[in-house]
Amino acid sequence: MTHPLLRLRLWLLPLLLSLATGTHAELRLQLDERGLDAAQRQVSQQLLDTAHALLPPAFLERLDQRIRVRWTRLPDAVHGRLVGDRLLLNQALLASLVDGSASQERTGRTHGTRYRELLATVLHELAHRYDRARLWSPPERRQLARCARLADTLGLVGLPDTCRGQTTRRFTLSDDPRLLELAGWPQRIGGRGEPVSENGLRERSPDPYELHNPREFLAVNFEYFLLDPTYACRRPALHQYFQAHFTWQPPRAEPCSPRLPYLNASRDYEKAPLAWIDPERVYEVDYLYAEANDNWVSRWGHSMLRLVICAPGRPRGADCRLDLDHHLVLSFRAFVGDLQLSSWDGLTGEYPSRLFILPLAQVVDEYTKVELRDLLSVPLRLDQASRDALVRRAVEMHWSYDGRYYFLTNNCAVETLQLLRTGTDHPALRGLDSVMPNALLDSLIARGLADPSPLADSREALRLGYRFDSFRARYQAMFSVLRQQLPISQRTVEEWLALPADHRQPWIARADLRTSAALLLLEQAAQRQQLLLAQDELKQRYLSGAADPRMQRTGEMLQSMLVQAGFLSRPAELLQSGYGLPLPAEWQELSSLSEERHRYLRRLSDTLDQDLRQLLLPQRRHELAAVESNLAQLGERVRELHRQSGGLRLESGTR
Amino acid sequence: MTLIRLFGAAALLSLSSLASASSFIGTTDMIGSALVGTSESTTNLTSGDDKVVLAAREDAASFVASAGEIRGAQLESALQLIRAKAPALQASDLELAEAILAR
Repeated sequence: MTHPLLRLRLWLLPLLLSLATGTHAELRLQLDERGLDAAQRQVSQQLLDTAHALLPPAFLERLDQRIRVRWTRLPDAVHGRLVGDRLLLNQALLASLVDGSASQERTGRTHGTRYRELLATVLHELAHRYDRARLWSPPERRQLARCARLADTLGLVGLPDTCRGQTTRRFTLSDDPRLLELAGWPQRIGGRGEPVSENGLRERSPDPYELHNPREFLAVNFEYFLLDPTYACRRPALHQYFQAHFTWQPPRAEPCSPRLPYLNASRDYEKAPLAWIDPERVYEVDYLYAEANDNWVSRWGHSMLRLVICAPGRPRGADCRLDLDHHLVLSFRAFVGDLQLSSWDGLTGEYPSRLFILPLAQVVDEYTKVELRDLLSVPLRLDQASRDALVRRAVEMHWSYDGRYYFLTNNCAVETLQLLRTGTDHPALRGLDSVMPNALLDSLIARGLADPSPLADSREALRLGYRFDSFRARYQAMFSVLRQQLPISQRTVEEWLALPADHRQPWIARADLRTSAALLLLEQAAQRQQLLLAQDELKQRYLSGAADPRMQRTGEMLQSMLVQAGFLSRPAELLQSGYGLPLPAEWQELSSLSEERHRYLRRLSDTLDQDLRQLLLPQRRHELAAVESNLAQLGERVRELHRQSGGLRLESGTR
Repeated sequence: MTLIRLFGAAALLSLSSLASASSFIGTTDMIGSALVGTSESTTNLTSGDDKVVLAAREDAASFVASAGEIRGAQLESALQLIRAKAPALQASDLELAEAILAR
């Protein structure tokens, strides 16, 4: 360990030296003019001057060094390279700089022209130099020394949260845990500060080279931060990071649209998939937790986030809690584009993990009505700025993330926690290591990040949407009403639902309004049950390789549909150009491409719907038809009774 | 056979979202779409409002059947919306729930 006095002297020394020379020290780029003619010297100097002028003042000041720049022979694909304090540029490119063709030549890469590539190369290599120079501020330096000391004495287990990832720092920026998580290498949950090895933010990258390692990520992004006026809008979180680090931003940074585009993965194919989130309209973010059931895939529940978005025109406030049809759910799911599911693949990360953005109503239906699970929606205590950043981060991930789903180590809880950590940068989340959804909720509550108080009164929670109850309990309640009102002989709801629909039908005419309502819900339960059975039978017949060629054809169609629907959770595949968040100029193309795919899905879905009905076993088809007929009769019965009682009528408007 | 069930839920969801559920949605919508009624008091709704009201039908049925015991958020959302559209409306929660159910 370094002696404190010595350390003091180490950073005092340059300070004293700069005082002694009496000049304002800063980075100097010195062209090696040997072998260059006047024209070559001039364009080279211009290039360096331009690069120098683009650099942040703090960068120039902190990197108080002289870098020698020289043109030399390099492999064709390489524009430049840093060797010690020498920046080597590929001399093959010099001629195009002299005759001006470098500014015209399109490279087909994100920077555009050869000249911009060269400029980017200079900035890129200087970023490496800056990164390696360990240019920490004195307070940072003290903090890093403290963390290293604590790691020595306490070990990684006893380390304070603020020291995670800070014990063996070697670079100015590229091993900063904050930069790493923004870049796509967040700390592994339970990894004591160690980052994940695989970067999942692989989509819509300006330059795949950035995914090589964190050093290259830093250098590549530094290029775009300085050269691309749209960087702030395409990669807002990273822009903010650089801006905070240099306490400066490029003068040409463009203002960004307040609305963030996303693709809605709703199964409602009638609605255009491209939509926008305005973080300003988000009143709260909830931790949305689907309680466990007996399935072992869901034994620990499912973690999601709910964006409580206010209806247009409603001021941000508690009333927005009931604007349910505007709320969205962020849900990490394994994307399964295959009917032949394999558990082994789930354990070994064969399935992509994607961030789905879904309408709340659909999620509530899926869990409470199809899976019969309770949903808890617990508000997170976040200030406006954190909430805003979290929403932005989520949308950024939606466009860039294509991770791997590992059932035990990279599941929904892990990914939701990573998103929360990276999005909010909340100190209380740093040391939180839960990898199971139920434990994560408890930890969030224990650390004061989630507010469970709205759930204290169960009825109120249900009324205000802090809890969505499993329909299992509702069906029980409906059956009790039925038993009170009608002389039926069945003793359990299961028995009632197991009756053939024809046997339930005669009771409809005997029901009053209240009982009809109960019958209606129970009949819907019967319908869902029949549909699940039908689904299961179809799946089994398909997977068993039954010889029916129609079955095979339909199976293939279904398979193709699963794959086709993939773009909704991996929207990056729609656009070939641009990187990060799509800008308004790209929205039009996005809109037409996504709607085209949607139309195709809708056609497939309609065909499938008909085909599947044809493929149902006769008794299943008959039973489903009977249930549908019961439902229609019940609907009619309810309206009739309502009309007779002179009840209030709601009417559709023309707007 | 728990292993086989590992992605059962995911498969179920994709299947239901892509195939059978569409028929299921078709059916539930069918109940709601027929518009009849001769009652005197009417409240006009826009198509966006329609969606909220339709989404509240199952909650409304639970509310009516349980005599107000089960009161879900989608019903609450629809009640809030209807009352905002028709501030002069004198109607109890139950009356409104019945009207939603009879849509």
